[in-house]
Amino acid sequence: MKCSSAIQKIVLMASSSSPQRLRQWANFQSSPKKARTMSTQSSLKDAFSSYADYLNNLNEKRERVVKASRDITMNSKKVIFQVHRISKNKKEEVLEKAYKDLAAVMNQYVARLVKELKGSDFWKLRRAYSPGIQEYVEAATLCRFCKSGTLLSLEEMNASFSSLSNPSQEPLQINILDYILGLADLTGELMRLAIGRISDGELQYAEKICTFVREIHRELTLLVPHMDEPSDMKTKMETMLQSVIKIENACFSVHVRGSECNLLGTDDSSYSLMGAAEGIDL
Amino acid sequence: MSGGEASALPLEKQFEDFRSQLEDSVTLRERIRAVVLEIESTTRLMYSSLLLVYLSRPLLEVLDKSKAHIGTLKDHYSRLADILSECPDQYYRYHGDWRSETQTAVSLLAFTHYLETGNLLLHNEAGEKLGLTNSQFGLDLEDYLVGVCFMSNELPRYVVNQVTAGDYDCPRKVLKFLTELNAAFRMLNLRNDFLRKKFDGLKYDLRRVEEVFYDVKIRGLASDGDSTGNQGSKENNDSEVVH
Repeated sequence: MKCSSAIQKIVLMASSSSPQRLRQWANFQSSPKKARTMSTQSSLKDAFSSYADYLNNLNEKRERVVKASRDITMNSKKVIFQVHRISKNKKEEVLEKAYKDLAAVMNQYVARLVKELKGSDFWKLRRAYSPGIQEYVEAATLCRFCKSGTLLSLEEMNASFSSLSNPSQEPLQINILDYILGLADLTGELMRLAIGRISDGELQYAEKICTFVREIHRELTLLVPHMDEPSDMKTKMETMLQSVIKIENACFSVHVRGSECNLLGTDDSSYSLMGAAEGIDL
Repeated sequence: MSGGEASALPLEKQFEDFRSQLEDSVTLRERIRAVVLEIESTTRLMYSSLLLVYLSRPLLEVLDKSKAHIGTLKDHYSRLADILSECPDQYYRYHGDWRSETQTAVSLLAFTHYLETGNLLLHNEAGEKLGLTNSQFGLDLEDYLVGVCFMSNELPRYVVNQVTAGDYDCPRKVLKFLTELNAAFRMLNLRNDFLRKKFDGLKYDLRRVEEVFYDVKIRGLASDGDSTGNQGSKENNDSEVVH
């Protein structure tokens, strides 16, 4: 009786269909409960329950990797903000703190990634962790540039990860693509840094940044067509070019107005330099 | 961070290395794509063989023609595996290049297998047929499942044409198969991704087959086959609804 009342409900709900039709439908609905061939059905169930286990494990792992990646992104961003606190007289201590924070990102969050990824996971789950790693590359290369004016190479970065895993584990290896994508983002940060330095009157430092960014831009230009996803890289290249041009324009303004100052014979050069930087729209 | 010598590595040098590495991967990808094109054309031939089932050819002939391509497919996959063995652990870097072709291949194998046995081709069986049993180069489970969904898309058409050709028992069998398959799929916790969408499609196939089954049944065309055991209870249900 229970069954029939449920069917009547359905009949009411779907008044446009003929009741007869629904009755037939209901008949067949009740029949699969009496499975006729248990053997095929149970092997299908067994197989699918093992597929379910596989998918559950994979999804849980992916979720953990995404979380680790998000933490890496968030904390790498903090390192980048710290680097931007640099000022003319407070370079050393600001950088020291940035390096300390960077090491913490590696030991706490990158270490969590290392635990999850092995073998083919590096590529299989790349989408899940790539944003975090790119941000980390950005933060680490920014710190290195501010400290020594050089580019932290991929080889060095990967070597620094070897301490995270014990020798029996596979070490985390950042792939070329994530490293290059991270570098592409680095130029945006360097642009901000350059503008800040100009405001602070450190024109030479800004020019050094400018040269470095130009070099990276030039090198990456050659790599674009060979990337796994060239279209993503193309948009990054355009943003990068804008950053380079912004730094160049800032340097140009300072250069022109700076010489103006000399002509006027004022020695208060920092004032006009400030003005030059203000004109730059970040 | 170690400063010193490593950082003295000139910037250009590093990028030169990158360029040559990336160029290698571009070359590798081109080789992969060449094989994938062949896989694609083989699956096309196999599909056209299976389409003979709609032209009222004898089932055995259709199956023979379809199965004749499996060996070729296997050869293609073993070539693919050879190429990929040059870069261990990078299976999923290039996976996108053969993914959809593999899903198609699985769907054709599964359809052939269903026509032959009336059962679902399981993941390990599909892997064996394609020679994808290696741990470094296996059949991705999600590709297999998507392939199974593709196979289900073919079943409504199959049922319709079988009935037209006079096989009135076919809808019942297919319906039972699809109902079980649907139940099996519901055991999986799917993410909101491509596979989930394909699985949603399977429900429509199921509904379409139900309709065909109904059309046949209501006109008394379906033979009762082995379902006589259920006759009694069905009639009871009927009388309950009618009042």
